[in-house]
Amino acid sequence: MAQSALVNRHMPVVWRVAFRMLRDRQEAEDVTQETFLRAWKMLPDWEDRAKFSTWACTVAINLCRDRLKKKKPVLMDELPEQADLALRPEQALTQKQASARIKALVDALPERQKEALTLCAFEGMGNIEAAETLGVSVEALESLLARARRKLRLELAGDSGTGMR
Amino acid sequence: MMMTDDRLHALIAAYGADPAFWPEDERAAAEAHLAADAGRFAAALEEARALDLAFAEADIPDAPSGLAARILAEAPQAARPGASWAGRLGDILFPNGLRWPAGATAAALVMGLTAGVFTAPATADDGYQTASEDLVYGALGYGGFDAYVEEVSG
Repeated sequence: MAQSALVNRHMPVVWRVAFRMLRDRQEAEDVTQETFLRAWKMLPDWEDRAKFSTWACTVAINLCRDRLKKKKPVLMDELPEQADLALRPEQALTQKQASARIKALVDALPERQKEALTLCAFEGMGNIEAAETLGVSVEALESLLARARRKLRLELAGDSGTGMR
Repeated sequence: MMMTDDRLHALIAAYGADPAFWPEDERAAAEAHLAADAGRFAAALEEARALDLAFAEADIPDAPSGLAARILAEAPQAARPGASWAGRLGDILFPNGLRWPAGATAAALVMGLTAGVFTAPATADDGYQTASEDLVYGALGYGGFDAYVEEVSG
């Protein structure tokens, strides 16, 4: 069935994007469902629309933004840097801890940088499609990505400087 | 676009060390430029690779089980091809609707034909798609159901 093919192919991506943005399973599920609900309504007029993946990620990201607006924004610049996020020096950096650390750092990125990184680095979306999804130019996308990566590198280097690795 | 040191550094800074993530239209030129003098980019690549590896650690849970089913439960149902056949046949034979008793025999004929359609052996025509389903496959980037079948069947 066509709808099954559509859901099987795109639902996991929409779910991951929503989960990375919201860090809440229930909210990510709500956003994923809402995205496809809108897709079903749009289908009869689909002909002139973008690729489904671009459209779905755009809708999902916009829904996530709406939800995030209702929460207090927490940006990296506002965080007490090492105190909350860093592991204690005596702890070994296990794989699980490394995963938790990078997730915390990505979560703390400014929203647009996090969106760009989610689409390109985590979902492997091409630069043109990712730029279209976020409604920015490719140059702007690259700037977001480079700033995000630079910030993360500095944070991880800070870990090394405090004996983390 | 002409590949330069600056551009390759920008690609590594934005997309990481793995060429698979670099823009498709610049990838070949960037890889050739890198191969020409890899040493100039070694430090940038090493930094980027460390971050790429960290990203690989940042796993996330799979989508909740049953989510696909819940989404599909909301999907519009495609019209049944058999039902539309019967409807169309009825419209042809009885453009003004059925009238008893003159319509009784003809109604039996319609029922027989309809039953025949439903009980006929499966054929390639079972792949019939509604227009809306074709749109979905188009949205998937297949350009329609036929292209989808072609790719899936290899």
